[in-house]
Amino acid sequence: MSNKKIENSTKSLKFKRYMRKNWQYYFLLAIPVIYYIVIRYIPMAGNIIAFRRYRAGHSIFGDEWSGFKYFKQFIGDTSFWRAFRNTLMLNVFYLVVRFPITLIFALLLNEIKNLHWKKFVQTVSYLPHFISIVIITGMIRELLSTTGPINALIKHFGMEPITFIAQAKYFPAIYVISGVWQNLGWGTILYLAAISNINPSLYEAAEVDGASHFQRVWHVTIPCIMPTIATLLILDIGGLVGSGAAFEKVFLLYNPMTYETADIISTYVYRLGLYSGNYSYATAVGLFEGLLNLILLTIANKVSKRVTGSSLW
Amino acid sequence: MKKIVTLVAAMLCVASLFAWPWSKKKTTDLNAASGYTFGEEVTFHSDKPVTYPMFFSDASWYAMQDTWKTEGIFKDIENLTNVHLDITSFDSGDYNQKINLAINSGSAAYIIPKVYEEGQYVAGGGVVAVSDYTQYMPNFTAFVKKYNLEADLDTIRQADGKFYRLPGLHQATAPNYTLMVRDDIFKAAGYDVRELEKTWTWESLLDVLIKVKEYMVKQGMCKASDYIWSDLWCGSESGKGSGGNLLKLMGTSYNVLSGWAIDGSYGGIKWDEKKKEFYSSSVSEDFKKFVTVANKYVKSGILDPETFTQADDVANNKFFNGKTIIKSTNLSQMQSDIDSVKKIVPTAEIYVTVYPAGTTNKLSDGGRLENGVMLSTKALDELGEVEFIKMVRFVDWLFYSSEAYSLYKWGPEGKTWKWGTVDGVKAKVLLPGYKCGGLGISGSDTDVDIRLKWGYAGGNFWYGHSTAELTDNFDAARKDLYARFSAYKVTPAVDPAAKPSEDEREQLNLWATPLIDTINTWTLNFVLGNKDINKDWDAYIADCKNKNVDKVVKTLNDIYKKQK
Amino acid sequence: MAGVKVRESTGYIVFKVFNTLIMLVVCAATLYPFLYLVAQSFSSEQAIIMGKVSLFPVDFNITTYKSVLEKGEFLRSYKNTIVYVIIGTFSAIVFSCCMAYPLSKSELKGSKFLMKFIIFTMYFGGGLIPTYVLMRRLNLVNTIRGFVIPSLLSTYYIILMRSFFQNIPKDLEEAAEIDGLSPIGIFIKVVFPLSMPIIATMILFNAVGYWNNWFHSFLYLDKKEMWPVAYYLRTIISGATTSADPGEISAEKMQIAANIRSCSMVLMALPIICIYPFVQKYYVQGMMLGGVKE
Repeated sequence: MSNKKIENSTKSLKFKRYMRKNWQYYFLLAIPVIYYIVIRYIPMAGNIIAFRRYRAGHSIFGDEWSGFKYFKQFIGDTSFWRAFRNTLMLNVFYLVVRFPITLIFALLLNEIKNLHWKKFVQTVSYLPHFISIVIITGMIRELLSTTGPINALIKHFGMEPITFIAQAKYFPAIYVISGVWQNLGWGTILYLAAISNINPSLYEAAEVDGASHFQRVWHVTIPCIMPTIATLLILDIGGLVGSGAAFEKVFLLYNPMTYETADIISTYVYRLGLYSGNYSYATAVGLFEGLLNLILLTIANKVSKRVTGSSLW
Repeated sequence: MKKIVTLVAAMLCVASLFAWPWSKKKTTDLNAASGYTFGEEVTFHSDKPVTYPMFFSDASWYAMQDTWKTEGIFKDIENLTNVHLDITSFDSGDYNQKINLAINSGSAAYIIPKVYEEGQYVAGGGVVAVSDYTQYMPNFTAFVKKYNLEADLDTIRQADGKFYRLPGLHQATAPNYTLMVRDDIFKAAGYDVRELEKTWTWESLLDVLIKVKEYMVKQGMCKASDYIWSDLWCGSESGKGSGGNLLKLMGTSYNVLSGWAIDGSYGGIKWDEKKKEFYSSSVSEDFKKFVTVANKYVKSGILDPETFTQADDVANNKFFNGKTIIKSTNLSQMQSDIDSVKKIVPTAEIYVTVYPAGTTNKLSDGGRLENGVMLSTKALDELGEVEFIKMVRFVDWLFYSSEAYSLYKWGPEGKTWKWGTVDGVKAKVLLPGYKCGGLGISGSDTDVDIRLKWGYAGGNFWYGHSTAELTDNFDAARKDLYARFSAYKVTPAVDPAAKPSEDEREQLNLWATPLIDTINTWTLNFVLGNKDINKDWDAYIADCKNKNVDKVVKTLNDIYKKQK
Repeated sequence: MAGVKVRESTGYIVFKVFNTLIMLVVCAATLYPFLYLVAQSFSSEQAIIMGKVSLFPVDFNITTYKSVLEKGEFLRSYKNTIVYVIIGTFSAIVFSCCMAYPLSKSELKGSKFLMKFIIFTMYFGGGLIPTYVLMRRLNLVNTIRGFVIPSLLSTYYIILMRSFFQNIPKDLEEAAEIDGLSPIGIFIKVVFPLSMPIIATMILFNAVGYWNNWFHSFLYLDKKEMWPVAYYLRTIISGATTSADPGEISAEKMQIAANIRSCSMVLMALPIICIYPFVQKYYVQGMMLGGVKE
């Protein structure tokens, strides 16, 4: 037998052995993969309308090619770039503030020894997450109105009341602070799940080594949940150019006087689409957002691999 | 001889039937009705039962019940016409999006009522160019002819000269939004609002309000730093970020499109009758005047700046509380506003005024068209032209005949109402045991609300019609308001409209959105005093030019010249 | 190990006090608005309009609750929601595990490709219309499946689960393999029990997600009888943002109780908040690691 033939038969033997060992994994994967193909990938073909002219009721794939017309439209639009800038700034600002605070809060929660008190604080801190955004924005407006409590305090100190909602410079802070308040508690759940997975013998070993309480946190807790921290951070960075999730909140809080810092991509596209239903344009913008986010995600993933050793792929 | 003449005449008649261009393509006689009766003020009736799918905007405060179909409005329609309406209802808050989704994905019902904006569906081919079929609609054409609505219909024609929505038609413009005041406080301060409103302007109203506030401060009714006017429909939700209702009322009396009126206007575009061309009212001298007056209201401590950011119920609560003494209202909310104030301040007296004039005393809305009905292309495809025309004639009866109008507004005579007298005049009166929120006729808690139970006077139908029909449920107070409006205000003429093609519309829209954003931002900043109207005027104009206001005006003028 | 206890430093004691203070502030900040809404939901219309309500109900009454709860549709939507949530959460967990576990084995051929395959879908979707058309073609409109399927698998959650599975010490799985267990057997007997914290988290996230979801009902459930609580309540308090004539809608909305929003919020939030205590016990630190000790 020639060398090639021997190689081939060993290869197929290896393959058979591999499959005998691992077929169950592929069996488990079958249904989810089908799900992804049908529910997620097939509709993606609809994205083709970013390059074609779409007309309601006609083919969902658009009628004729329009090339990069829609891309050129938004690339040349200064209002679009303002919205892009705002999206990025609000998301970065929010991430930078929220991420460390949530982690620290999770660690602090973990320090509570009394189980009842711990349960109470946790449950209470989750409450804002369940209040609908409509009510929250209503509360924010009440809080910050010229007749509201914050301005009452300001007036008490003899200063002029500030119209927070009507000034562009306050919007980012309002957006971030209210976001932190709403999601702080809920965001700790994942960290707490990771912490409860830590092998207690590691703590005992550290105790024996004479580590103080804080040293134990620094040298045991944090390294053990580092994969979780890294995963969450990578995923968050991969969302920095996304404006879909924030739509409702910004829409309810902004007004033309604050467009300068508040108008994000999704709200801008929404206003554009109000009288024209221009799906081609919206899809082109969506593709643009998706591409940038994917690039950010890839970079974050690579960096994390190098720095912490854990990554998504 | 006679026999021959008769024969030839008969043959000529028959021949002419074939020669007459009933429709552009078919040779079959489409105008004849086979299998159904129809006609001007004739009840539509189909020989065989027929079903048409229809969308329905379901308002949650009088949600559709099964009784509507079994014993209410839909059963009545079926009894009279033998047409069964297969209703798919969507919640009113999501209605526009849901029909958008349905039409765009090819799953639209045949009849789509309650449509305000049909522009987005024109190019898609999802809805029929109904203007091609109005020739088969006797009630519609009769009404248009009787009240000269041709010019109004022109405003909704698209670039191809056709229109795609069968609008609600009004005999006369129906004023809706206006201002209501605390009459008792004005009287105590020495002002007779009934006299004032005959000739007041926004500026004279401001002077009155300043004096009234002085009086209130002296009486200890409010502090000097309080605002006595904090309005609704101007915030980011319902005001749509443009200054909403108030700026529309004020602006239009200065010939400026602002607030709600700027939506869809490509940038405040109006028609100059003298120069016979389009111009942007947002960069005109009129705008300067308008914004100066609005700013005075805020500067003098009368109008609360939070008007432009607060939620509607916050504004309403201030009025109900007695903290403010003037606010906007509209016909449907009038009565409940008055009731709400009386609950908290039983001695209050409310007077609904005719809002002031500016440089003109024109009404803010000149149009006599209302939201309307679209017919989907799916209907035409599935029914075929002959049956489609049958459906068109049903729609004609349902939305444009007086019989149908009375049926869904009041219910059948004898079941829910009878003829009686109101203030000595013959009028429709609900039978004892009934009330109706939709008609503004209240009753006791045990009375049956005919809207809740049977769907009469709901919001999908009865838009438009003659003034007599429109006002037949009005009580004396509302009739009086209407009368005052026609006495003190002038109906503006309808502006001609440029009809852009698909691509032109796309381009205009791309310019218009940032332009309108800019105009709105500056308008609000001017009104609130963040920017100085005189010092920053040039910067404002430059910003608008930067955002293509000149290009928009030029494009529209070019389009208009071409289409003539 | 017994008998040796590290003495708590004064720094630690100060920290504990400080921590408690912080927790109190957090509790106050998060509890107060919620209490305010609950108080408002029990107050009279007059009191709300006059702005008298702060922490406690004024003119305590349950009229708005009654008017909402008395409607048969409300109870029906509640029942619907419970069904959807149970079916949805159960299916989501099962299928997410089916995907996350194999993907956690990085030696598995194709796992790297599959990771990229599913991550791609986080950034590029089909958009509203194509997805809607697809759901219609698949006859998923107006069915429970139509509500559950669109958000059944979330790449985000799968990635998190995978990360947790990867953290399970390999020797445990290897020991089970030596004992003759198949991959599925290893998962059920070893990995799954040890992953209770993340499974509990996923149950929580999925349940809350399905509970609060109104978007899928808006898209795919036309029939009122199928509406879940989230969508039903939303229709009662729907905003005027999408209406062409805001004045018309807000006018008649005024006839609805001033506290309808807070009532519906309480009715929506309370049940799901109550789930948390049951899930809490899975977050106990340091599960016993079975029979394998170092």
